[in-house]
Amino acid sequence: MNATSLLSPRNIPLYVAALALLVFTTFPFLWMASTAFKVSNEIFATPPTLIPRTYTLANLERLFAETRFLTYFLNSLKVSFSTVALTLAVATPAAYSLTRYRFAGREAVAATVLFAYMFAPIMIIIPFYVMMRFIGLNNTHFGLVLAYSAFCLPFALWMLRTFFQSIPFDIEQAAMIDGASRRQVIQYVVLPLALPGVVATGIFTFILAWNDYIFARVLLSADELKTLPVGIADLYNASVVDWGMIMAAGLLVIAPVLLVFVFIQKYMVAGLASGGVKG
Amino acid sequence: MTIATSIATSAVPEPRRFQLSEAVTGWLLMVPALALLLALTLYPVLYGAWLSFFAKHSFFPEQNWVGLSNYVYILQDGEFWASVWRGTVYSVTTIVLQIILGLAAALVLNEMFPGRNLLRAIVIFPYVVPTVVAVILWKWLLNSQFGLVNCMLEDAGLIDRPISWMGRDWIMISLILVSVWQFFPFVVIGVLARLQSIPNELYEAATVDGAGAWHRFWHVTLPQLKSVLFVIVLLRSIWMFTKFDTPWLMIQGGGAETYIRTLPVYTYMRTFAFYEAGKGAAMAMLMFLMLAAASAIYFRVWKREENL
Repeated sequence: MNATSLLSPRNIPLYVAALALLVFTTFPFLWMASTAFKVSNEIFATPPTLIPRTYTLANLERLFAETRFLTYFLNSLKVSFSTVALTLAVATPAAYSLTRYRFAGREAVAATVLFAYMFAPIMIIIPFYVMMRFIGLNNTHFGLVLAYSAFCLPFALWMLRTFFQSIPFDIEQAAMIDGASRRQVIQYVVLPLALPGVVATGIFTFILAWNDYIFARVLLSADELKTLPVGIADLYNASVVDWGMIMAAGLLVIAPVLLVFVFIQKYMVAGLASGGVKG
Repeated sequence: MTIATSIATSAVPEPRRFQLSEAVTGWLLMVPALALLLALTLYPVLYGAWLSFFAKHSFFPEQNWVGLSNYVYILQDGEFWASVWRGTVYSVTTIVLQIILGLAAALVLNEMFPGRNLLRAIVIFPYVVPTVVAVILWKWLLNSQFGLVNCMLEDAGLIDRPISWMGRDWIMISLILVSVWQFFPFVVIGVLARLQSIPNELYEAATVDGAGAWHRFWHVTLPQLKSVLFVIVLLRSIWMFTKFDTPWLMIQGGGAETYIRTLPVYTYMRTFAFYEAGKGAAMAMLMFLMLAAASAIYFRVWKREENL
């Protein structure tokens, strides 16, 4: 398509639609960012200003000085990274096995995984909570990591399976004919090729753990253990809402997710298309 | 060489003779994942079914067998049916709107224009931010006193008095708005992936036959999208009907909570506000059964459509 056809009037409806889509998806975030840097009387000013007349970091300062935001943030990082590590450690060999080994019951396993994929947290949270209480893992980060890993496993397995399937088995066989052992084949041939898939799966796992509200709400009661979504919800519910501070908190919570997006949007889109992240 | 070619040309990976332990290795690699899945997803599902036959406090270990009386109680509870109704209204409305908006957005993003790839990435944002942020963000936009939405509507002369978005008349609409905004990207991604794989020849042939844009959409695009839409509608139905965090977080700090108390929210409250784990588990089971029945009907209707 050349420059003249891009500017032709026939394309105007398309541009209007694209612009509407852009505004619909991004404007709420821009408004959040704008509020986060405003002084309190400008936040409530009429008419509202999109670009702050005066910038302030006071909202961020209050967030760190007067709340346990930093603790929640570190808890979230710890829990999310542990979830990624555990999920990938368990799902990668399993997905490899599902695509490369033939054994009785393989199809049944794949069907079970797909079935588990459809489960929503609310359907298992009650027995899960009773169970965790029974074995004493409620109110621990370890219990939460276990919950997230179990919850992420179905889609992680499914995604990784798709990636492994896309690596031709011929390459592995060629390496084995050249005298490589299975372990060497996996280490030097399969994993490097599957790395983008593993990274993408890891990112989706991270996002799920980072965003989850219900498991953290139910499993954690100690304030110093809370993760961001629960911490922020409690901050919001605490008393009169400090909008500037809450918007600053929101901005910091979505920052890691957006950062990931900017850097590797290609994988993200491919991964989402193959069924990543339920919600 | 002949061995090499024969292996390389076999379409399905065959077990190699010297690996007697093929099946064993395969299973061993599966074991950790399977153990985690069985212990932390499938066992809780079965345990939940078992729990639904007991009167049990959510915190204390004692439990008494009560047979079906949890179910009897719930099926006679007016609030249960009201929550099923609210949940159905919520999920059907949001799914229809998500599909329409998602389909339209995917069609736009499938066209050629500068910045298309960037917009494709941006559109996914609402789907990947935490629900708590999405909800609080919209509560601020929809704030009745200082919210931007009311302010803009007033400036445009569309309303005289500020709308109380979190009030009883509007809270369901607000909840639907937030949910559609949050979840329509899922539809965009699925549809867009499929759109990209529709062969161009189909459109060219239709154009040669004199089909206009609307005709091409109706007779070429839509039939090609049928199977992906089937999966999307299935998954979104399951996830919207069981959606807990969006309505629950919308409820917080407002007086109109009963108007968006959907089935998942009511189930949660039974368990963690009324501490009736047995009844909560029974409600979760009923939710599961309703979904299973709905899915079965959905599959059957689909099959019939396919055969026509």
